Amino acid sequence: MKGLMTKGVRWSQVIDQMYVTGVRSLPTTLMAGLFVGAIMAIQINLQLRDFGAQSFLGGLATSVTIRNVGPVLIAFILSGKVGAYTSAELGTMQVTDQMNAIRCLGTDPIQYLILPRMCAVVLSSFLLLIVGLMMTIGGGLLMANLQLGVNSLNFIGNIPKLVQWWSVGTGVAKSFVFGVIIAVISCYRGYHTVGGAVGVGKTVKDSAVETLVIIVVADVALSAVSNVIYALLGMDQL
Amino acid sequence: MIAAIGARTIGLVSSIYGLASLFIESFSALFTQVLFLRFRLRETLDQIFLVGVQSLPVILFSITFISIMLITEFSFHMKLVLRQDSLVPAFSTILLVRELGPVLTCLLLTSRVGAGMAAEIGTMKVTEQLDALRLLSLDPVEYLTIPRWVATVIAAASLSVVALGVAISGGAFLASLLLHYPIALYFQTMFLFTHFTDIMQCVLKASVFGSIIPVVACYHGFHCEQGSRGVGNAATSAVVQSSVVIIVADFVLTYLYYAV
Repeated sequence: MKGLMTKGVRWSQVIDQMYVTGVRSLPTTLMAGLFVGAIMAIQINLQLRDFGAQSFLGGLATSVTIRNVGPVLIAFILSGKVGAYTSAELGTMQVTDQMNAIRCLGTDPIQYLILPRMCAVVLSSFLLLIVGLMMTIGGGLLMANLQLGVNSLNFIGNIPKLVQWWSVGTGVAKSFVFGVIIAVISCYRGYHTVGGAVGVGKTVKDSAVETLVIIVVADVALSAVSNVIYALLGMDQL
Repeated sequence: MIAAIGARTIGLVSSIYGLASLFIESFSALFTQVLFLRFRLRETLDQIFLVGVQSLPVILFSITFISIMLITEFSFHMKLVLRQDSLVPAFSTILLVRELGPVLTCLLLTSRVGAGMAAEIGTMKVTEQLDALRLLSLDPVEYLTIPRWVATVIAAASLSVVALGVAISGGAFLASLLLHYPIALYFQTMFLFTHFTDIMQCVLKASVFGSIIPVVACYHGFHCEQGSRGVGNAATSAVVQSSVVIIVADFVLTYLYYAV
């Protein structure tokens, strides 16, 4: 893989793949982000209402969503939309011997197909996750304003009190790691497909399940690491 | 441009119409099956094994990790807002039971079971096995969809409860290790805030989501195009559409339950 990196990446291919995986997944991501934000606002509001602490809704809902629940749920959607799509495409190429055809033409399929896809999927999942996380704030705001009776100025004004730059940083770091996980697993599973149409179906299933499980484990690991870092730097106080 | 938008809109509407009609068709077929005592118990039990028992390890593992994640997360926020984390078990369990337990169980089931179902039925369609079934005067909806549907609803409802039990115990164990929270106190605080209706809500949500997965998967399987590309596309769109529909349905259910 390292030797291939030195040969350079075909950026035109990367852009093409980013269009196919990224731009076409944008509506789905926006919708998922909106609904996730709204759901979390309702749930957090229920918990805060018992304590009469609804003024904390904006900060708390945004913080929980951005740091943890948002990246996981949106990455779950993306693992189907981006990851399963990529693994199905590569798997189809593998079982219809297109990989071997490329090899016959003297081109390395890993450099020609896998590397651009991997870069594109990492970049587009990362960007889609960021956009989705922004959408969750919008969803929470809409829900709080329209239904829960929390003033939207109050909601927005409360966000900076509880969401510091390091919370946003955690969300961004998680988004990047989840993008890498989706890319690596879908490309690996797609490249190692065997056995016709049944094999392609099995590849899609396996890559989706593995991606979800590893995302969950990585989320716990990253949360633990980030909490340790906050504690070390003394940032876990307001 | 306008033609492209129109084509996409027509495609969207026709796929929604197809999904709804498959849903209604399976419902009426199930009704007649039960009414005339032709319910296919054997296939249904096979599918319950495939859907429920074989997905159990993956789901237990992931939901337990989600529970641990919620505990560390809420501990962080409680310390930030209230400067103490004595109510962590209550808050994290409520969020797990009401929201993330059923949703994540069913999202995992979607990729584990939904993709597999779409690929399986798609392969049958590509290899003309569906036509062979019709020649034997077996209705594919009745023969393939109904057992999967009933099995997934039962499996999703029971898996979510089992996963909740394991996840809450795992969370209590981890809380005693990480946050030095005594296990007895953990359960005491938990039961102050979590009630039986929350579990009922979890089961309700899980069965609604479980009824979405096989219908979407079978729809994409029945409309699979030729070749391995078609099968891959069917599996992918089954996963994506059911996850999106699950998130939307979760919002609708939560909204109806609390906000109205």
